[in-house]
Amino acid sequence: MIADCGLRIADLETDKRRKNMMELKQTPVVDVTEMKQLHEFHSALPEQAERVETNTSGPVIVSDGFCLYYGSKAGVKDITMDIYPRAVTAIIGPSGCGKSTFLRSINRMNDLIPHTRAAGKLAVNGQDVYDKRVNLVNLRQQVGMVFQRPNPFPKSIYDNVAYGPRLQGIRKRSRLDEIVEKCLHDAALWEEAKDELKKSALALSGGQQQRLCIARTLATGPRVLLMDEPCSALDPIATGRIEELIRKLKTDYTIVIVTHNMQQAARVSDRTAFFCLGDLIEYGLTRDVFTNPQSKQTEDYITGRFG
Amino acid sequence: MAELQERLEKLLLRLDLMGMRVEQALADALRAIKDGDAKAGLEVDQRDSLIDREEVEIEQECIRLLALYQPAAIDLRTICTIIKVNSDLERIADLAASIGRRIKHVVEDGIDFDLYNSFDLLTESTTDTLGRTVRTLRASDTAGSKGVIDSDDLIDDAYRSFVRSVLDSEGKKTGGVEAAMTMINVAKAMERIGDLCTNVAEDIIFLRTGDIIRHADAFDEQTM
Repeated sequence: MIADCGLRIADLETDKRRKNMMELKQTPVVDVTEMKQLHEFHSALPEQAERVETNTSGPVIVSDGFCLYYGSKAGVKDITMDIYPRAVTAIIGPSGCGKSTFLRSINRMNDLIPHTRAAGKLAVNGQDVYDKRVNLVNLRQQVGMVFQRPNPFPKSIYDNVAYGPRLQGIRKRSRLDEIVEKCLHDAALWEEAKDELKKSALALSGGQQQRLCIARTLATGPRVLLMDEPCSALDPIATGRIEELIRKLKTDYTIVIVTHNMQQAARVSDRTAFFCLGDLIEYGLTRDVFTNPQSKQTEDYITGRFG
Repeated sequence: MAELQERLEKLLLRLDLMGMRVEQALADALRAIKDGDAKAGLEVDQRDSLIDREEVEIEQECIRLLALYQPAAIDLRTICTIIKVNSDLERIADLAASIGRRIKHVVEDGIDFDLYNSFDLLTESTTDTLGRTVRTLRASDTAGSKGVIDSDDLIDDAYRSFVRSVLDSEGKKTGGVEAAMTMINVAKAMERIGDLCTNVAEDIIFLRTGDIIRHADAFDEQTM
């Protein structure tokens, strides 16, 4: 009964308190500079996508009505999207939707498949990739690729990383040492491999091999990294390390990743593109695509209703 | 992944059932006031534990689904909405139960609500708003949600008018200050139910559109 009375009095007090609150609202409790600092602090939190939005000059990869045909069949049709620097762009979609085809078009890996033909425009750093005058070696130096299964050369760890620079004509041992150390560092493999650089790359675990392949790609000094399901052959721990690495690398590189793992796309990417049957269905900030996609098809795919 | 959708459907059905139970609880409590039936009021309070239990079970299932399926898009919004609406419905049931508990005092103090302004308007608009909230939830209807949000003003006006007339009478009409407190508490419970209905309606709009419409003015101030 006593408690009940207490409650009743408290209820009566509420209106008075609300009135006091209203008065408090009129006079600023927190001073304005403090509010501003707080606001700045919150805007500086790792909402990467927002930072990308404001801090970039322009897209690194521009696809404008790009199509790629295998014979008479279109692998991808009329793809129009801009890919931004120092960010991760994920491409998702069901098997056969053209996501790998598009990824491989960016450094013209599809040229290895006979009877392919491109139409529309696809440019990296303003240079049309399918221009006849493009030097493929230069292009692939600029646009590196990491594949589904780790594919180190049957050589030592050192020679794997030094392979590209040697092809570029770097012979000086000290320079090569420097590159190998830096790239292994960047690929988060240095600590594990620094004492075993002469060991065969094939003796490494799957996850380490994949990081070695990333180091090998970095050694040619690319601006863009293409990753075609880089974790699909790895266990969850190794996958976690690669994802961590992707997050680090994006401060310096433009990364495009194809993945079947929707959670991975959600975790690592800033923007997500959804492909289906060769068409680009939706492209937007990852946080929007995964919480409130605009297209019904995207929604059905990411919620597992089809695909 | 069809299993996730099946389990979500089941959860929505449970939530709908819970909504109907909550609606019933409020209707019973208000009828008990009209009839001056303290026993019926206490029954509303006793039945509340059923809704409490249901609320916990629904929340547990939501947490399981989040952990097991890592849902995205509409599935994610559905689970978030269920978690929030679930707790709001439970609180509405608590308020109905608190009205039920107070009927004892209403009877003891011989309170007659009809002597004061707007009590009928308050009960009718609260009951109507809650009913529409439950139907809107069932149909996950955006337009209906906006209607619910609008009707909260009606409840607030009726509440203010009622409280004013109780205070103006200085408790002289029946039972003194104690009775006035009881009346104000009963009215306050209904006013809170209106607020919670607004919350539910806002969550339904989030479910359908992905937009959080709450506190929009707070964000206007920040950009200033």
